[in-house]
Amino acid sequence: MPGFFEKNRSVIAVLVLFLILFWLVTIQVKAGRFTVLEKPVLAVSGFFERIITGTYRGIASIGSRYILLVRTERENRRLAGEVGQLRLESQITNELLAENERLRAALDFKKLHPPSSVMVQIIGKDASLSSSTMTVNKGSLAGIDRDLAVITPDGVVGRVQAVLPGSARVQLLTDPGSTIAVRVQRNREEGLLEGKLDRCALKYVSYYVDIQEGDLLVTSGLDGIYPKGLPVATVTKVRKHEASSFQTVYADPVVKLSRIEEALVFKK
Amino acid sequence: MKLWVYVIIFLLLLPLQASLFGPLSLGGIAPDLGLAVLYCIGLLTGPVEAAFAGIALGLLQDLGSGSLIGFSGLTLGIIGLFIGFLGRRVLDIQSPSNSIFIGLFGIAGSVLAALFLELTYGSVPLLGLFLVRMVPRAVTTALAGYGILRLVTDKHVLALIRRRELQKEL
Repeated sequence: MPGFFEKNRSVIAVLVLFLILFWLVTIQVKAGRFTVLEKPVLAVSGFFERIITGTYRGIASIGSRYILLVRTERENRRLAGEVGQLRLESQITNELLAENERLRAALDFKKLHPPSSVMVQIIGKDASLSSSTMTVNKGSLAGIDRDLAVITPDGVVGRVQAVLPGSARVQLLTDPGSTIAVRVQRNREEGLLEGKLDRCALKYVSYYVDIQEGDLLVTSGLDGIYPKGLPVATVTKVRKHEASSFQTVYADPVVKLSRIEEALVFKK
Repeated sequence: MKLWVYVIIFLLLLPLQASLFGPLSLGGIAPDLGLAVLYCIGLLTGPVEAAFAGIALGLLQDLGSGSLIGFSGLTLGIIGLFIGFLGRRVLDIQSPSNSIFIGLFGIAGSVLAALFLELTYGSVPLLGLFLVRMVPRAVTTALAGYGILRLVTDKHVLALIRRRELQKEL
């Protein structure tokens, strides 16, 4: 018997490791994921990502940035940023106007200021199927903290999950661990939007709630992370099951997550 | 293979996957570089070493991506083990049929991950994911993996590895 263990030491070690990993995963499913060693890996990975992305973008921009009309492109970028900011402000304003009308009836209104934000560049995207995250090029030195909302002028991208001085990891709204408090813009019905990898699903929606395909879901602000009224997702599929008291609602993010290059981090 | 070679490969692999394949992906679909490299390791080494390599690579992916720690380690470890077993039966290491196996392992890994997520979080659109994400990803991984396999099993590289092994034995 000892000879058997001696002979198959490596195989046994692999099997034991598998069991340990399985045990680790089951613990995290119940108690939440461990964050140990997360920052050192993010630091090393972020360092190389910055170099690789910088080199890639540097090469890619040689043609467009220096050979082809340097000033025009610079101006274009400035204007594009401005347009994005204006679109964002316009969306917030639309939501505020709708809210204002409701509040006016009760003769109670409050002055809202758009929160300050930090512009970040995406330097890396996670490729694993079990999660959806990306790395951005700014961190705590730029005032970024955990659980801050990350958005683009089109809508919500996700929230900051881990922060280092020079970079941060963003959990996208399609990540299975992501939950956002939302509201149907048309009729103000509330719900919790969960990530389902390439799309999202609205959780615990009663059978009798009126939700239609094409409805826009906006942040309700109830989770304390996302400012109120930002577009999040559009309802793409509604299924009602006779046997269940809930309906299944799927929604696609309004932001094309695979095409983002820059985003804004909202400071609280 | 030596430990430091694995450390360098894995440390470079994660950021390369995240940064280079992000912008170069088509419609958000990028090849799984980790699986492609693991396939090469499995074929060149054996089941046990490939399983260890898969576990290490998966754990790094988990730490870097913010998913449940150990999940990718377990998945890639199991896949590495099977690739290693397959490697013992592969006669022509440069055969294009390897790309089919890489694709199949890619789909197997994705299906494992999706089933786990379905069990844990529920209402994961499995069929949609299979058609829109798993299959295209497996195809791109198969192509990238076959390219890497051709590169590392180039006659000159293999001759170099064999020469070093012979020197070690002598």
